[in-house]
Order: sequence, then structure tokens, then C-alpha cells
Amino acid sequence: VRFFSFHLMPYPALPQDYDGPAWVTCPNQLFDPTVGQDIYNRYLDELVYAEALGFDGVCVNEHHQNAYGIMPSPNLIAAALARETERVKIAVVGNALPLYDPPTRVAEEFAMIDNLSRGRLIAGFVVGGGPEYYSFSLNPAFARERFAEAHDIILKAWTEPGPQEYIGKHYRLRFLNTWPRPVQQPHPEIWIPGAGSLETMEFVAAHRYAYMGIPYFHRSVFERTFGLFRDACEREGYTADPLQSGWLTPIYVADTDEAARAEYESHFWYWVRRLLPGITITPPGYTSVRSLESQMKGAGTFAVNLQTWDEVVEGRYAIVGSPDTVFAQLEECLSSFGTGNLLGLFQLGTLPAAETRRNLELFSSEVMPRLRHRFPEGHPVLAPVSSAGAA
Amino acid sequence: MRGIASELVVTRVGSIEVRRVGPEDSAADGSSVPTVVYLHSGMGDFDAGPFLVALAESAEVVAPLFPGFGQSTGIEQIDDMDDAVFHLLDLWDTLGLTDPIVVGQSLGGWMAVELAVRHPERVGHLVLVNPLGLYLAEAPIKDMFGRAMGELADDLYVDQSLSAPQIMHALDDLADSSPGGVSVPFELVRPVYETTAAMARLAWDPYMHDPKLPKRLWRATMPTLVIRAKHDTLVPAAHCRYYVDHLANARLVEVDRAAHLATPERPDEIAQLVTDFVEEPHGDRR
Repeated sequence: VRFFSFHLMPYPALPQDYDGPAWVTCPNQLFDPTVGQDIYNRYLDELVYAEALGFDGVCVNEHHQNAYGIMPSPNLIAAALARETERVKIAVVGNALPLYDPPTRVAEEFAMIDNLSRGRLIAGFVVGGGPEYYSFSLNPAFARERFAEAHDIILKAWTEPGPQEYIGKHYRLRFLNTWPRPVQQPHPEIWIPGAGSLETMEFVAAHRYAYMGIPYFHRSVFERTFGLFRDACEREGYTADPLQSGWLTPIYVADTDEAARAEYESHFWYWVRRLLPGITITPPGYTSVRSLESQMKGAGTFAVNLQTWDEVVEGRYAIVGSPDTVFAQLEECLSSFGTGNLLGLFQLGTLPAAETRRNLELFSSEVMPRLRHRFPEGHPVLAPVSSAGAA
Repeated sequence: MRGIASELVVTRVGSIEVRRVGPEDSAADGSSVPTVVYLHSGMGDFDAGPFLVALAESAEVVAPLFPGFGQSTGIEQIDDMDDAVFHLLDLWDTLGLTDPIVVGQSLGGWMAVELAVRHPERVGHLVLVNPLGLYLAEAPIKDMFGRAMGELADDLYVDQSLSAPQIMHALDDLADSSPGGVSVPFELVRPVYETTAAMARLAWDPYMHDPKLPKRLWRATMPTLVIRAKHDTLVPAAHCRYYVDHLANARLVEVDRAAHLATPERPDEIAQLVTDFVEEPHGDRR
């Protein structure tokens, strides 16, 4: 298993009396730049720190017009990380391809980051969240078509000699010839996050990319999702490599279970109750009917509906506790999901800097080595007995 | 009450569900009654039955469902209003319609205007009920895509006890109860999702309008009646007035006790308005 430190870069200072959504219509007057200049720099420091602690990589992602994650351009953050780190993989998970017009912009910027970092980029491609289609007034009915065309353009730009031509339905490029080219050949590792859409899984399986499960569901949903992904790979005629999937989860480690919960819980609820509302808005036509039906099976378990800490623990919505507890729960989840990449959120909601650093330190010193020993790279992660029949 | 017959008609984009109803005594000699085509709103107007039957007192009524609505397929072939108009032309040819009276509500009204400005010879009379299609900076159309169904129902119907708003409110109630583990049955969600997805293809961006439509309105020269429901809180009154002022040959009439989806709520009254309008003498087209 490879270990990544993922940062959402949440806005931690929504006023107490604001109870509206954190997305699309969350008034931008609520953003205080005096807070902003501090947290951007602090959050970057937290990502950079992961290298010193022995993580394999760091992750950033893209969201627009919201308080949940203030990284409308993850590529800017990745560029800063490329300069401030030397070893870790830099995973941008991802760029929302349909929002870039033309998507050659993604081919260019990702190649720049790959050069700047001397070949450490992991290139993530996403369709973009439902809220983004409102924020960009972009027609959700064409989201999948635009994603597919943009993907083809980027891969063509990276892997085939230019100048060349791409004439599609949504993009028409008479001179496709992007500079620079990526360092990693034929192209950087590609990750695709998905929320359980069958089309996305089939696409990832067909291209032998890696599938990152969109987080914040009950563990049973992940078990099902990653199983469906492995099935999709089997239908493509091969067995999925563990490194072809990744699980993103909030993690908090303290000396004891009691201390962990006491230090963490209020920050977790800020995230659930203040930052998640509005994230689930599903624009019409954004997903196919068969995927909608599949996704609805897990929809009721989305974290925005959480009420009690017992539910959080039972569903493994966050892995919180002493090093022993965190190790045991991660071991259990990883072996039932079969995912070879663990993407930990070590800062969440309003979790302050000191707690975040200590969390990263305890995880990397007390938990990560044991998990590395338990799940050596190159070996299966999935428990050998099918989880379907297990208690 | 006469029954509405339903058939599937094959077109270039897919198979289209067409509902038909005509006058009771028209079987022997139907040639004397006019043909009315009803184009439904973006909600599908599955509750428009009484309106269609009322219209059929004096006309052959043909009500096709647009791709993506009901059993009609082929929405993936339609990307924009231009494709929609070509689909209507195909449908007119398939159904043997030359220049019928076209009654369109909401999205259907917008579609009817788009057809009328391009092919005025294929629209004998035009009746628009709370039509979409325009952007007026001082009178924006309310958001339809980002709101809860129950809230939307308040804009669409005056009488919330009708079946359609009841279902919309029920969907909200079911969705609200999901924290407890109850989720909305997929059979209920599916048609709503498919319908709004079809609507989104045509009306997400530009939102509910065609920026090129205003400069083309003069081309629709047929006699036109614009029907505005007084309680339509989705589309401001200025839109109907704009159509009346800029279409070549239009006048306005208001109906009371109805909101945006007026035909299911005032079926007899609106059918009578259509009948009277068609029967009144119209001068030569300008």
C-alpha cells in the first residue's frame, strides 16, 4: 500500500449564524482574505511536511465557488509543491476536464508540473462535481461527452507527435501541439476519481487507469464500489492491480481513543454540517439513469446525513483513535476494499495546525510502518476470503 | 368522456409516443375539423388529459411527447433547439400535418415559436401558454434546476392538491427522510430525472432562452394568441408581453386561478380560448 496525504483546503471560518449551503450560492463575502492568506500557507506547509514524515505522495483536488475546498486551481498548489518537495508524488485528483475549454490547458499545465517536479506528477481527471455544473452554467447533459473528448485530446497531445488535428463534437482543434511534453513517458500515471458511476468504472478499467473511490460513504458502499471496479477489470480481461484503486478517508490519531475523539469530533462535525451541505446537488443529465440507480443504493449513507458519533465509527466515515485502533480499522478496511493506495485526510474542517501536525506525526511513526509491513507493495491487499460471505 | 388513444410513431431520432383524441362524431367526416398539435411543457404534462379532451370538442388533437418524455426515445440525438425544430418537422411529415394549429405550453411554447419563425408555413395558428424562450434582464425566469421539487410545485400549480404537485411534494418528503435510511423509490425518481435531463439539454445554457430568438420573432406571421396565467411565478408577465409586442400578429389574454402549468389546472377555459381564437375571422397574413 502507498500512503498519500490529501488536503481539501477547507475554509474554516464560516460564521456561526450562516446555515446555508457551502456550495454554489454560499456568499463570497463570507470569505475573509485575512484568514485566507494564513490558511493557504498553512495548508501548503502541512502538505510539504508529509514528505519529511515518509509519505509516498500528496494529493490536491479542484472545486469551485465553495467553502468546502478552496482550491479552484489545484495546479497552482501543485506547482508550489513541486518546488517545495523533492521526493513525493504530487497527485492532482484531478482537473475537472469539462470545465477547461479547450482542455489542452490541462495537457499543458500538467506537463509543466511534471517538468517542474522532475517527473513526480500523478494526473487526475474528473468530470467535476454536480455543484460545478451550476457554478459554471455548464450543461450537465454533455458532461460525460466533454470528459471523454477532453481525455482523448490530452492523451493525444501527450503521446502522439504534433502538430496534429482533433475534430470532435465539443472541441475542434486544428493545431493540437502542446508544449511542454511530460517528463514521464508515455505519460504520467492517471487517476480517475468516481462516485460509483458505472460508466466511469468501465472507462477506468478499459484504460487500465486507477480508480479513486469518492469518499464519505458507509464502508459497505466502498466494499461494493471497489468490487464493481474489480469486476469491470475482469470484464476487460485482466485482474486489477491493487495500485489501480485508492480509498480516501479522514484519519485522526492521538495517544488514546478518548483523547482522539475529544480533540477531533467538533472539527469533524463542522465539516459534516457546515461544509458538506450542498455538495450532493445532482444536476439533471449529469449521470446516466443506470448509474443513478446504482448510486442511489448508497445515497442514504452519504456523510451529510450523519447524526451521531456512533454512526461515524460504525460506518468508518473517519478513522479516529489510538495508533492501535487506527491501525486495526485501516487494516480491516484496506483488506476488505482491496485498495493499494490510502489517501488520508489528516486535516478536516476546523482542525487546527498543531493537532494536524501531531496527527501526521503519530500516523507516520505509529501506524504507517505497521501498515507497510502488513501490506507490502506488490502483494494483494484484498483479503483472500471473499468478503461477501464474511460476517 | 372520450378516451385518449396512444401510439408509437417511428421518427429519425427514435420512437415517439403520440396521444390522439378527436370529436365524438368525427369518424365519418373528419375533414371539416381543424387539427391541433399540443406541445407539452418540460414537465411532460402527463396530467394534460382533460385539456386534450376539452380541445377535442371541435378539433382533432395530436399530442406528441418529446424525446426523453414518457415512452418517447431519441433524446441523445437532440442537442439544442435547432435539433428540436428539425425533429418537429420530421414529425409533421410523418404524421401528415401541413399547417396545424400549434398549442405549446412553457417549453412547448418556446419550441412552437422556434418552429414558427423558421417555418411559418407549417404553423397555421399559434397559441402560446406561459412560453419560455426569452431572456429579459429586468424579469428573469426563476431557477428550475437547482430547487426542491416541492418548492417548484408552488410555482407550477395554484392548487397544490392536484396529483402532480402532490407527487412533487411527496418526493421531497421522501428525500428529506433519507437520514433515517428511507430513500426515494427509484421508479418514482426515474421519470422525473429523465424529464429534467431532457429539459436540461435544451434549456440549461443559455438558461431557458435562445439569444437569437428576439430578432427572429417578426418572421412568425400566423395569427397568434399568447395566454398568460396570472399566478405564473416562474416566468414573469413581461415575457408574454414581449412576445405579443414582437411577434407579427399576436394578442394577449390572461387566465385567472392558474400558475405556470396552466393547461392541467384550467383545461376547459383554455380549450375554449383556443377554440374561439381559431374560429374568429383573421385577416390575411402580413
